[in-house]
Parts: sequence; C-alpha cells; structure tokens
Amino acid sequence: MDPIGDRAGRRDRRLAAFDRISGPTWTAVYRQFSGPDLESWTDQFDRLCATSGPTMATAYVHASLTCARHVSPAAALMLGTRALFLCQPDSSDLARLLLVQSTKAVPKLEMPGDFTEWLGAVDALVSADASLLRPVLDRMEGLLSTVDAKGFAAWVSAGLVSTRGRTAYFQLSIPHARRVLDQEAGQGGLDAASGAIKAFATALWRVEPALRPVAAPADLHTPRRPAFDGAVFWLPDSFGGFSADEERLLYFAAVAHMGAHLTFSGTRFAVGSLRPLQVALVSLIEDARVETLAARRYPGLARLWRRFHDARPEGPNIADGLMARLARALIDPDFDDPSPWVQKGVDLFQERQGNLEDPSLSREIGGMLGNDLGQMRVQFNPKTYVVQPPYRDDGNGLWDFGDPPTDAAAPQEEILLSVRLTQKEETGGKDRNDTAPEEGEETAPVRPVEPDPDTGIPVARYPEWDRRAERLRPDWTTVLEYGFRPASAGVIDAILARYRDTRARVAALVDRARVSRPVRQRRQPEGDRLDIDACIRAVIDRRAGAEPDRRVYEVTARLHRDLSVLLLLDISESTKDTIAGTMESVFSIERAAAALLADAMSAIGDPFALRAFCSDGREDVRIYRVKDFDMPFAAVSRARLAALKPGLSTRLGAALRYAGAEIAARPTHRRLILLVTDGEPSDVDAPDPHYLVEDARKAVQEIARLGVDVFCVGLTGAGESQLNRIFGRRNILHIDRVAALPDVLPKLYFRLTT
Amino acid sequence: MSLDAYLIDGTPYYRPVANEVDLFAAAYDARMPVMLKGPTGCGKTRFVEHMAARLKKPLITVACHEDMTASDLVGRFLLDADGTVWHDGPLTLAVRHGGICYLDEIVEARQDTTVVIHPLTDERRLLPLEKKNELVPAHPDFQLVISYNPGYQSVVKDLKESTKQRFAALDFTYPDPDAEAEIVARESGVDTALADTLVAIAGRSRNLKGHGLSEGASTRTLIQAGRLAGRGVPLAEACRATMILPITDDPDLRGALTETVAACIG
Repeated sequence: MDPIGDRAGRRDRRLAAFDRISGPTWTAVYRQFSGPDLESWTDQFDRLCATSGPTMATAYVHASLTCARHVSPAAALMLGTRALFLCQPDSSDLARLLLVQSTKAVPKLEMPGDFTEWLGAVDALVSADASLLRPVLDRMEGLLSTVDAKGFAAWVSAGLVSTRGRTAYFQLSIPHARRVLDQEAGQGGLDAASGAIKAFATALWRVEPALRPVAAPADLHTPRRPAFDGAVFWLPDSFGGFSADEERLLYFAAVAHMGAHLTFSGTRFAVGSLRPLQVALVSLIEDARVETLAARRYPGLARLWRRFHDARPEGPNIADGLMARLARALIDPDFDDPSPWVQKGVDLFQERQGNLEDPSLSREIGGMLGNDLGQMRVQFNPKTYVVQPPYRDDGNGLWDFGDPPTDAAAPQEEILLSVRLTQKEETGGKDRNDTAPEEGEETAPVRPVEPDPDTGIPVARYPEWDRRAERLRPDWTTVLEYGFRPASAGVIDAILARYRDTRARVAALVDRARVSRPVRQRRQPEGDRLDIDACIRAVIDRRAGAEPDRRVYEVTARLHRDLSVLLLLDISESTKDTIAGTMESVFSIERAAAALLADAMSAIGDPFALRAFCSDGREDVRIYRVKDFDMPFAAVSRARLAALKPGLSTRLGAALRYAGAEIAARPTHRRLILLVTDGEPSDVDAPDPHYLVEDARKAVQEIARLGVDVFCVGLTGAGESQLNRIFGRRNILHIDRVAALPDVLPKLYFRLTT
Repeated sequence: MSLDAYLIDGTPYYRPVANEVDLFAAAYDARMPVMLKGPTGCGKTRFVEHMAARLKKPLITVACHEDMTASDLVGRFLLDADGTVWHDGPLTLAVRHGGICYLDEIVEARQDTTVVIHPLTDERRLLPLEKKNELVPAHPDFQLVISYNPGYQSVVKDLKESTKQRFAALDFTYPDPDAEAEIVARESGVDTALADTLVAIAGRSRNLKGHGLSEGASTRTLIQAGRLAGRGVPLAEACRATMILPITDDPDLRGALTETVAACIG
C-alpha cells in the first residue's frame, strides 16, 4: 500500500469529519479517542454519514462520547460496529435507536464486564431476529433500572429459548416475561422465601396461606405492596432496593403482619361514605393495633417490623410523609416526632392501650386524624399514595367496598399457579373462609374427573436448565395430564399371547426373584439358634486342641424386594417409524415390551407405575398415566396402554422431573425410573439441539440427588452420544435390534433389580 | 436370682397431666398390660420409671429396633466350654423374677417378634421358651408395658390388631402450657419467664406438625434448650441447637422456625 497516500487519506477524512461537527465536539472526540481508535472512529463516522443523514451523525457522536466516557473508547467503537451493521440504506431507524438508547444504558454499565454482557445480549437479539431489538431498546432504561447487565442478558436469553411468542415477551406484554425479569432482579426473592414464610405463618398464626405473586403494574416503577383476601396472600415477586437478606426478612415481616390481621382484625370495615384519606388512616391505625396485639404475644415481631420503619421526624407536612411518621411513632416507643398531629395520634392510641381488642377504635381514631389532616389543608393523592413501610399490605383486605371483586376472568396463568401451590400442600386449607380466587384449588389434589384426552389438566410446573445463561429457569415447563380415548384391553392381551415364548422365559426369571423367601444363613457370629453342625465342629476342634470357630449360630433372614419402579415411555412422533425389515413401528414394539415387563412386575409383586410422555412446546408437556402404583395391571391399565398413540416431540427433562417427583414419594428402599426412548430430546420451541440435552442431564442429576436411580434404554442407536451425555454410559443400554426389546427389557429389569 | 439391680433409686420427677398415675396403679394392681401412646419426648419413659419407683418394682427396659428377633427378648443358647447353656433374655428375666418389662417403641420391632408377648398378655400369663422346651409362668409381680408412638406409624410399621387389643392404653400429649413450663423450669433449672418463652416457641413449632414437620418440638427438647441456656448459651442459639436443627433438615422450615424463635423472644 502507499503509506503516504494512506496518511493523506486519513487526514482528509478527519478534515471531512471536522467540517461536519462543531469545534468543541471535535475536541471532545479528539480527547477520548487517540491513535488507531481515532482512526476507527473517523471511519465509522464516515460510513454512518454516508448511509444515512446528519441525524445519524449526531446520534453517533453523542453515543460514542457517552460510551467512551462511561465505559471505554474500545466499547464505543464496538457499539459503532453494531450500529453500522444495523444501518441499512433504506432503514436506519434501528441503528439510530440503538445509539440513542445506548446513551441511557451505558451509565449503568460501568462495572467491568457489564458492557460486554449487555452487548452480547443485543447481539443475540439481532442474530435471532433483528425486529425483536426494537421493543427491547424502547424499554432499555426501565429494564436496566430493574436488573443489572447479567440479569438483562439472562432475561434476553430466556426470551430467545423459545421460538413462540417472542415479540410479546420482549414487549413485556405477557406476565411470564415480567416474572422472569423479577426473578432476575430479586434473585427470585418470593420463590426463594415462599416455603419458609408459609411455614412461618402456619407456626405463628395457624393459617396456611396460599401465596400468589402480586400482578405486575403497568410500568416498571410503581412499588408493589402485599395484599390479602382471607388466607390468600399476594406478595411482590421481589422488593426492589433491598439486599437479599433484607428482602427475605421483609417477606417474613409481611406474612407476620397479614397473619396478625387475620387473627385480630375481625370483620371488614364498611367503606360507606369515608373519603380515601380516612380509609388510608383507619387502615394505618388498624395496622398499628394488630401489630401491638401481635407483639404482646410475640415480642420479637416488634423488632422485626420496626427495622423497616425508616421515617424521620422531619420533612414537609405532606400526607404521605406524615403518615409514614405516624406509622413509625405508633409502634416505636423510642421515636419522637415534633408534629402535633403525629403526637395526637400517638396519644389517642395510648389512651386505648387497655382496650386494643376492639377494632372499632381504629375507625374512630383514624376518622378523627383524617379530619385534622383535612383542616391542616394537607394534600393527599389517593392515586399515588403507597402504604409505608413496604412490608405492610395495601389495606384492601380490611375493607368491604360494597360489591365483591370480580375474579371471574382470572387468566390461565393464575389457575396454573394455584395448582402448583396446592400440589405442595399436604392438606387442604381448613382455615379458609374464602370465596373467589379459590376455584383453581379444587382441581389438582382430588381430580374428581378423568383428564380430558384433548386438553389435559395442568398438574405441575418444573424448572428448566438454560445452558447458555447457566441457570435454572423456574416454572419454565408445564406438565399436563391427558386422559385416554376408549380402547380395548384385548389389544394388550393379544400382544401378550403373541409373545408367549418370551413370556415363559420371563416367568422363569420371576420365579427366581420371588419375594420374601426365607433364607437360612449358617455359621453366623450371632443369631437366634445354634447351628448344630458348626457347634459339633467347634467342640471337636476344641477337644483336638485347635482354635474353634466361634461362628456357631444360624439366622433366618428374609430377602425383601423393597423397590418401586416407574416405567416411562417416550411416545413422540419418531416412534412411528417402522423398523427396517419388519412391518412394525418402534412404538408398537415399545408397547409390547412395556406390556411384557408390566406383566412380569405384577407377577413378582413389585409396585410399579407406567407413564408415557410427549410434548408440544414447554407449556404442554403431556403425561399419560397408564398405570399408577396402587393399580393392578388389569383391564383399565391395559385399555389405557392400548389407547396410546404416538405423536409430537420429546421434552425429556420435564418428563423426567415429573417422574422423579412422583417416585421420590414412594416409601421403598430403592426407586428406579426406567426410561425407554428412541433418541435424543427435541421440541418445537427449542431450536438449540444441545439445550434440551443439557436440561435432561441436569434433571437426571437432580433426580439422583433425590435417591432415585434412572436407567435409559435407547432404541435404534440414534443420538447415542447425546443419550450417553444425559444418563452417563453406565446407566444406558443401546439396543440396535429394536425387535429384540420385548425380550431384552424384562431381562434388563431383573439384572437391575437383583 | 434377684432383680435388685433393676430397682430405681429415689422417685424420678413426674408431673401428672391427668389421672394417668391412678390409672396405671389400678392396671398394675390387676396386672393388666399397659400401652403408652404419645409423641416422642412427652414423658412416657419418665412416667414408667416414676411408676416403677412408686410401686417399688424392678424395671427392665428394652429399646426395640428393627433387627430385633424373638431370641433377643426371650433368650438363646450360648456355647461355653462344657457345651450349650441357656441364657434368659430381658423379657424372660422379668417374667421369671417379677418385674415390670418396658418395651420402648415396640413398633420398631418386627411383627413376628412381637407375637411372643401374646401368651403373656392374656389369661395364661406364661412365656413359652420354644427352643428350651419350657413354659415359664409369670411371677405375680410381672407386668408388661409397651410404648407406641403413633406419629411415625406407617403401613409397614404398625402393631397387629391382635397385639393392640391386649393392652390398656394411656394417651400422652404435651402438657398444657403452664404445666409444661413448670416441668421445663424444674428439669432444666431455668426461671419461669424463660420456661414460658420456650413453651411458647414449642407451641408454634407444634403448629407445623403435618405442615412439613412430622412432629413439633417436644418437652424433652425444651428441657435441653433450657439446659443450654442455663449454661450461658444465648437463647436463640440454644433453641436452634435443640429445637430446630435436630427436627428438620428442610432449609425452608429451618428458616421459618428461626424467625419464629426470634418472634417469640422478647
């Protein structure tokens, strides 16, 4: 190349740039970028100006300077390359939006690594579908004030995992997107605490609350408050602005407070003609009343609550501030407030110390204080008022507003959630005196009706491992139980008849493994009886002067087969394939093998369950309960096995988690999940081939920690290495000749269990 | 052979909750076998010791376990230098020489083991030693007492119906709060206020029975907490060590109980 010409060209380009922007700006650029960086900057500036107009130039200058200042010049140039990439001759909107919004983002990306993380997420969005970038950029500021760069990247990758409903996700217009964001923001605050706070409420107040996350507000900024309606407690997914430990305590404080209401508040106040200010004040006094009563019973609660009262005895006479101060003054005897209004509230409250059990005093004192505040001409805006401190509920649970709230249009989400909650509960809520939102509760535990063969009944939600973000996505998959179309048990009987030879061979195995056979163990060091032969030998030895063997006892031991088995069949679309050289499909062989094994297991008396699964996206993982542990393998389960039809995909991880949770509850010494599958996991909404493999691997590890063994039988040799990765080489058997499965499966079973 | 070694020194402290002392005395008078039911750590074993001391009878206690066989109760042949010798088991000892035999946590033993007590617990009052070919008639002072905790009863571990119905049962529960505080103060040496707090905590923990805990904190754990606190351990830590960590491994329940303890301590 010609160095002189190159240098001249460089100068020209700089001059050209210099001409287009003002002097002071150029100086700023010159200070931030030097040497090769300045070179690249000028180059990017040129090309952006060439493809689009002066607005782009301004945006670029501004964005690159902000970025260089907050992060580094190198980062600014990386941002520039993204803008250039997005800058199409006919549409440069997106590029400009990226530059403009980045100026709001970079001040929050100053920590090392943050910018790279953020840019990586932007890249991921662009490479998936550039149109997804726009809604994210529009919300960039709000997003980054909710989560940090890592959380943002994780939220983006969670949205990209699935190919369905992406646009709505990134527009934050589905609750799920908001929930993931909250989880990233608060390290899953509510999820992490829910088990403990529920038990806490039960211990202190003998209520068993149903916990629900508070519905997301329209914007990202309004603080959310707990609420209750009888024993249904709504709590925010996270309390922003608190450390993880503080947040955890806030949840405890919140349930202790709502529990105190349930215990001491009695019937609801009628709103009648009360003004909003009075309603808020009556609620405030009522809060203090129940907290005082609760603290008499549990003195430590006062300490727990007081730590969140941070009102200071100063500030302007605005209603919100005064009320926060009053709230603190009423439960904190060390808090001294100069305001006569606050003092009056405290005095009125103190006068009634002997008679706090009477809820009407809240009504009375609250009303009086409301009038005073009105006469003081203090402004109160019910639309912006938020109860303080954050652990206190919004007060609506205390009031009767006349007509009941309409929960008829409870979205599917809500119902699913209540299903999940009741599944964890051991007994139904006996303390519930409640009506509306409980409808979903009835369905899960008792299952009065057979699940529908077409829609299914949601029974559980399971997390899923996101290998890119390297974290478990809570409640990511929904498992639904589907019913069966009528079919004839005769089909299975016919199959069993056809494999008569195999059945005879299996029967021999069954005999050998028969349960509770007493076995006499001789020559034991301890035991119930003397072993005569051993005794005689010992006496002979002694008389002969030799050292006698002291093991002269015998015991009768029983060999127990103490195990439960769950046979899990993959019935995805690929099992429809016919096996080379035969007329039969993989599915029909699988079913025959399952029938033979089930036959053997019921002959031997091992409790076993039979489940089949397939999936259609993460919200529809289908489980077919062919046979339960306590059911005989007779007409009903045979008819169900006959009714199975192959189809759809293989979301293995969710099915394994379901099976794991079910068998982990079995009270036997050994628990085994036996999976029969014809290949690696896949699903319609998971384009990344490794994603479901890694998730399934994670699921197997989780199940192993529950003390459950998982063994996989892989058919047709497809996806061999993937299955090895999921289950580990020792826990898998590959069968190339699928037709041999009915013979192999029972043999394998006995090898595994004896 | 005398069972003097099994006599109890002094009279161990026991605070009656209802009329159990009179009932037991009447049952002993009739030599009726007695079954003590109730959650762990509520005073069943202490009660038996107390009654044995009151009645001035020797007490032979057997802690049952799942490997226990009938031979462990009735005895077995042992081999010595001259041949075989019979060695009486604890139950045979009590039957022969007159004493109260207390089978603690009988459900832990296998069902085929527990049937050996059947001939002892009806009109016959005798113990057949099958291997020795001997029938041992019960000494007039002999009585059989078993304890049975319905809490961890499962399908696998339950008494046979034919066993259950041979006994008069006394149902034990945790004493009411005042009485329990009195017991805790007496046994651990803490003052009444502290004992009251401990009892309040235990009451909250018992609310969680069936909601994650199979059993709440027992009177025994309260006494232990009191003993630690009496030796200068801060109350919250003493409670954690005796009333939380032993009874659950679930992090959620541990968290809930820790906060519950904090809420109860003034």
